[in-house]
Amino acid sequence: MTRVDIRPVLRAAQPPLGALAPALALGALAAGSSVALLATSAWLIARAAEQPPILFLGFAIVGVRAFAIGRAVLRYLERVAGHDAALRALAGLRVSVFRRLVPVAPDGLRATRSGDVLTTVVQDVDALQDLPLRVVQPLVSAAIVAGLAVVGVAWVSPQAALVLAIGLAVTAAAATAVLAALSRDAERRISPLRADLADAVLEYVSRWETLRAFGADGERREALLALDARLRRAQSRQSAAAGAVAALVTLGGGAMLIATLLAVQPELASGALSGPELAMLVLLPLAVIEVVGALPSAVGAWWRVRTSAERIATVVPEHVPAEIPLAPEHPRALPPIGQPGASSLRLAGVAAHWPGDARPALAPLDLELHPGDRVVLEGPSGAGKTTLAHVLVRFLEHEGRYELGGVDVRELHPDEVRRRVVLLEQHPHLFDESIRQNLIFARDTASEDELLAVLERVGLGEWAVERGGLDAPVGERGRLVSGGQAQRIALARALLCDAPVLVLDEPTANVDADRSEALLEELLGAAAGPERAVLVISHAPVPDRLVTRRVRIRPAR
Amino acid sequence: MASIVAFCWFAASSIAAVIEGAPLDSLGMLVAATAASVVARALTQAALDGLAARGAARVKSQLRRRAIEAIDRGGSASLGSRSSASLATVIGPGLDAMDGYVGLYLPQLILTAVATPIVVGVLLLADPATGIAVMVTLPLIPVFMVLIGWATQAMQRSQWEALQSLSQGFLEVVRGLSTLTIFGRQHRQTTRIEAVTDAYRTRTMKVLRVSFLSSFALELAASLSVAVVAVSVGVRLIDGAIPFALGLFVLILTPEAYLPLRLVGARYHAAADGIAASDDVLDLIATGADARLARAAPPAPETPRDGEAYDVALALRGVTVERAGRAVVSGLDASWRHGSVVAITGPSGTGKSTLVAAILGFVPAGGRVLLAGRAVPADERLTRIAWAGQTPELTSGSLEEVVTLGSEHPDPALVARALALAGTLDVPLTTVLGPAGQGLSGGQAQRVAIARAVYRALERDLGTIVLDEPTSALDAEAEERVVRGLRTLAGEGRLVVVVTHRPALVAAADVVLDLGSASARARLEARGPEVVAR
Repeated sequence: MTRVDIRPVLRAAQPPLGALAPALALGALAAGSSVALLATSAWLIARAAEQPPILFLGFAIVGVRAFAIGRAVLRYLERVAGHDAALRALAGLRVSVFRRLVPVAPDGLRATRSGDVLTTVVQDVDALQDLPLRVVQPLVSAAIVAGLAVVGVAWVSPQAALVLAIGLAVTAAAATAVLAALSRDAERRISPLRADLADAVLEYVSRWETLRAFGADGERREALLALDARLRRAQSRQSAAAGAVAALVTLGGGAMLIATLLAVQPELASGALSGPELAMLVLLPLAVIEVVGALPSAVGAWWRVRTSAERIATVVPEHVPAEIPLAPEHPRALPPIGQPGASSLRLAGVAAHWPGDARPALAPLDLELHPGDRVVLEGPSGAGKTTLAHVLVRFLEHEGRYELGGVDVRELHPDEVRRRVVLLEQHPHLFDESIRQNLIFARDTASEDELLAVLERVGLGEWAVERGGLDAPVGERGRLVSGGQAQRIALARALLCDAPVLVLDEPTANVDADRSEALLEELLGAAAGPERAVLVISHAPVPDRLVTRRVRIRPAR
Repeated sequence: MASIVAFCWFAASSIAAVIEGAPLDSLGMLVAATAASVVARALTQAALDGLAARGAARVKSQLRRRAIEAIDRGGSASLGSRSSASLATVIGPGLDAMDGYVGLYLPQLILTAVATPIVVGVLLLADPATGIAVMVTLPLIPVFMVLIGWATQAMQRSQWEALQSLSQGFLEVVRGLSTLTIFGRQHRQTTRIEAVTDAYRTRTMKVLRVSFLSSFALELAASLSVAVVAVSVGVRLIDGAIPFALGLFVLILTPEAYLPLRLVGARYHAAADGIAASDDVLDLIATGADARLARAAPPAPETPRDGEAYDVALALRGVTVERAGRAVVSGLDASWRHGSVVAITGPSGTGKSTLVAAILGFVPAGGRVLLAGRAVPADERLTRIAWAGQTPELTSGSLEEVVTLGSEHPDPALVARALALAGTLDVPLTTVLGPAGQGLSGGQAQRVAIARAVYRALERDLGTIVLDEPTSALDAEAEERVVRGLRTLAGEGRLVVVVTHRPALVAAADVVLDLGSASARARLEARGPEVVAR
């Protein structure tokens, strides 16, 4: 993995200190109560053993009860505050990841693996929640409590404080070292294995029919399960490390108890320390070490967070590649639609290439498109027809000059260009929602009747009624509709959007031959008029009577 | 367990001894015993944790395997109602959410069941008053937890569903981003994601506030019990009713009685996701089992028919396919010879793809499908027919790996021939496809899919090749190359069946089956079962 700057991602995941402060304070107080509870109880019992009048214990009895209740209440409040802060940050993080996606999509994302996007979104973004919750918060509260405990003990006995400080430091260091030796490596392997497994599962599930048809399902299943086994081994190793650390913390607590006992015994003998004080000092490490026990898991969480942040930063580039158009700082406005020449499109020597591929994908092309034009763009596959379509809607940057309404499109906001030039993609996306939802976003003011009318226009009127109307589901990527019907829904979408320039990229690819002419006719008929220009990209023959002009392009390489 | 009790006892004794003025050198044995018990405890802990985690990983792998097997059995039936993304989430990250449940929660539950009675027993022996106090408060905790658990279960479930729909929603948005961008809706998605995630936060916090209550009750009960014990022991110490060392021992040991239960509570939240996830996986496994039952419906008895022409590669006898209770194809008869190209045509929705699915055995069908004169059970047809579906459905890997899918000994020469027959000369041999076969243009992917079917036919010498809309994304030149390839294959004696609407392909066919024309069936019947090559 190349080095990427993960700081922006981490910043997005980390709530501001102000938002985190309540959780931090509550966490420190809760842990402090826990330490104080044990210390006070120990003092209470040791003092009671000296059989003083019960009145002398009143203060300690109240303290014990207060700390007991305080610990539970504060812990609860801390968890609520901490989770809330983390989830607030998650909303921001999700949006910030998406904001990074928007300017790059779709053509700057070609290298993005769909399985990776899935992992990134479900796992990595969720994993980043752990940054405030399981990294920053426990570390800061642990540091506060450990520091306060050492200072408090030093006030009673410097020797005991020294033992406590050294014990805490050694235990924490040893635990971290064990994790670094055993778990870090496993952690590094786990994340890529998880991503590979997610990819393999997605491919297996989405290609199941094909794999079975070719008798390759068994082999793929074995490969998938082998991946799973490797992941399992890495995870076992990691949990062995976690077990070792828990054992270390127990060891550290016990060692500190013994060491404190031995260290302060002379002070008791010399009368510098009372019995109850000694009991308190000796038992205190058992409570403090519990706080430190959170350290290793925080370190583990940090590694996971860092890996996830790295992956997000890699998958979604922060800087838009040069081949992807950016909005200019001061975009110009186009003359209003309807004004003469406002929607004319002119290309002069326009060529293009894809990000990460220096080879030209479109040879220099001149083209003029005026309202009323119906132009068919022909050429063999690979000649750059789709590339041109992407250039026209500013998905892809170009060389040469591309003017819309007499203005260089580089001076326009890409969204503004797309309001004038609408593309019907070769593989339009059908959302896993109802027919209505799949149409309405093209024009959200469209009425029921308009939606039905446009369905009728693309030859889907009867079909929509048969399926149960506009609220019938389309199904994931059109799983529940046939190829031709899916294309028509997308066509209806493009028709709903009343733009002056329509670019149709292979609109009849999956439509029956006997209907494709009718469909082209309907489409061009709907678009025809003095105000609209239509560019049809097609590998299939388009009859002369449907178009006003033909343009043929040749491969650039 | 014993090591915990021992540690508490020796530690308490050492402290008491020191406070009571014993000189350091007389403490050797006690200190050594304390140290030994600490080491023993640490080792037990490490071993237990390791075992639990390993067990969890094994359970997870097993569930993953069974979920995949369920998909294998359920097939497209299990895919129909679920999207592949949601299935992939359930089998991938969904199962990982079970770590908390199987790896942390369950072992702790078992440990609690074993450890708690021992500690309580020791407390009862050491100091009956404390023992009774703990015995009374302990059972209250599970009661509280169950009550609160009931209240939160439904909420947990809805949270998991929200997580799932959210995961899918986000992937949908990412996949459809270019479509959204075209319509200027990409910025609105930001607001939507913000709103959805914020709704998710609100909902999650509602759940968490309630579910944290259970651990709050637990913590409170545990720490109050320690307080009660400390005070009661203290009071009795004043009276001199119990020795100091015993009092200290009871004080240190009491939290240990609650600790396992507290950990159960703490791990319950991690477990909740896992419980919901396991429900989903178990659902899937159950669906697969149901689907198997459905599939196992008795096939129509198939017997070879006497007098069947020897050179008939594929014959349909009264093939009927129902979808959603409606006959899409009914009573279709046809016989297609080796060496011919058959085009199945007709408008959308007339059952072209359904017929192909029936021939291939993907969907249950009435009537009989005979291959080379012999009835072949539905699940064996794919070993006799090479097939390319309507969408390329390519897999990841090098071009050669993609084309030789399912082949045990890939043959580069055959790969080259298959690619040539499919007219894919413009796809570099060095191409490496991403997951789910990304990285080719629509037309290229389509021809690679044809090449994959052709390779299989060549390698296994299969007599029948079925291609669903093989040239829908091709220009006329490329289509011409594919047609030439298909004619070559037919010339070698294979039967090539194409579903198509492209005139060029229909024109190149020897036999045309038009499912769309109203008279199709009548014409077929009039000409009898044999639709002979012209």
